[in-house]
Amino acid sequence: MWQAIKSVLAAFLGVQKDARRREDFASNRPGTFIAAGLLVGLVFVLLVAFVAVLAAR
Amino acid sequence: MRTLLAWIAGGLTSVVLTPVALADGWNMPVGVTAISRDIYSLHMIIFWICVVIGVIVFGAMFYSLFRYRHSRGAKAATFHEHTSVEVIWTAIPLLILVGMAVPATATLKNMYDTSEADLDIMVTGQQWRWRYEYLGEDVAFTSNLGTPREQINGTGEKGEYYLLEVDEPLVLPVGQKVRLLLTSDDVIHSWWVPDLAVKQDAIPGFVNENWVRIEEPGIYRGQCTELCGKDHAFMPVVVEAVKPERFDEWLAERKEAAAQEASSADREWAMDELMERGQQVYGSLCASCHQEDGQGIGNFPALAGNEAMLDDVDWHIDRVVNGVSGTAMASFRNTLSAVEIAAVVTYERNAWGNESGDSVQPSEIAERLADQGE
Ligand code: HEC
Ligand SMILES: [Cu+2]
Repeated sequence: MWQAIKSVLAAFLGVQKDARRREDFASNRPGTFIAAGLLVGLVFVLLVAFVAVLAAR
Repeated sequence: MRTLLAWIAGGLTSVVLTPVALADGWNMPVGVTAISRDIYSLHMIIFWICVVIGVIVFGAMFYSLFRYRHSRGAKAATFHEHTSVEVIWTAIPLLILVGMAVPATATLKNMYDTSEADLDIMVTGQQWRWRYEYLGEDVAFTSNLGTPREQINGTGEKGEYYLLEVDEPLVLPVGQKVRLLLTSDDVIHSWWVPDLAVKQDAIPGFVNENWVRIEEPGIYRGQCTELCGKDHAFMPVVVEAVKPERFDEWLAERKEAAAQEASSADREWAMDELMERGQQVYGSLCASCHQEDGQGIGNFPALAGNEAMLDDVDWHIDRVVNGVSGTAMASFRNTLSAVEIAAVVTYERNAWGNESGDSVQPSEIAERLADQGE
């Protein structure tokens, strides 16, 4: 799972090592990556909302 | 050699761009409110950031094209990736964007803060004029294009403020926070005065808010900036900012005039008085559609020799007071006073060869408006 989260974070930035990409694609459990994607997405939305609330005060 | 080329590229770019950025008339105005100055400096900061990025990126590109060209034996590199360089060139733009977003958001927040205003003004767009209402002060008027028709038709010399002048400007006090409530009676208009950094849509059924605190007395001009029909170019905005004492005087005068107008509806008006007033009203509010000579044009019917209109005064008054829904003929109930309606109807019944001889009295109209108002 930690591996998947790191890959999702790299995808958010848009930069990934080729070796890591191969490793990810060798895994045959896409569910882990989907879950990690949803999780990191949610955290990002909450983070933006938090900053917006702070700024609006 | 490298640095020399970079300097030449950078130098050339700034030589071309600096005068453009600083020249009067090319750039946006600094304006006369704190917000307009904020917006101007944001604009300049972002502009220079873009210039620097442009010089670096295009400088590097042109330099590489030149320095590593095929005829000098350059060989293409074949490496696949370089993670740290990629992270750097992703992170730098990210930081630049966030750096620009922070001051921009602070300014936006300030622009939306319409609380604690000293004066509230309702601004209503109408095809094709602006109506201003000083809320709680019983003062309201429409502001019509002031440029004479001959200049527009090309038969007269164009004036200095061609299409940027009105019969009655919006008068505002300097130093006070004025809240603008913008809406529209018909289609979407947009109220724009560059020197005040206000450009806000006026939408039927909505009320948009904005505010200004003007710092210098003066006359500030703008236009409707949402394509709103045939005379879109003919509904300018003129704001006259005056000292607060002068503003109070002006407001008192306007209140007095409004009271007088209301009471003058009671007395008997002579035919030539009505005709004179009617011609004024017709010229500023009706001629854009029905034409100066009453002959109409396209979908706008002729009023000269109009049988239906001349046969029936009631029908005529009803058209002007209530308009014709679903057509361009608006209701003038809220735009015109009883005196003005009586005058314009009288004028239409006796101008351009119409010889009904009818004079409609303001008192009749006032009664009618009161009846319908219930
Ligand atoms: C935006 C264009 C416009 C303006 C401005 C305008 N009118 Fe009209 N007017 C029309 C149109 C269109 C009609 C025809 C409505 C219909 O189809 O019944 C009309 C109809 C009329 C009629 C009935 C005549 C007929 O044959 O239907 C009268 C009277 C009239 N207008 C008076 C005025 C007066 C007075 C003013 C100024 C205070 C004015 N109008 C301003 C567009 C305009
Ligand atoms: Cu408009």
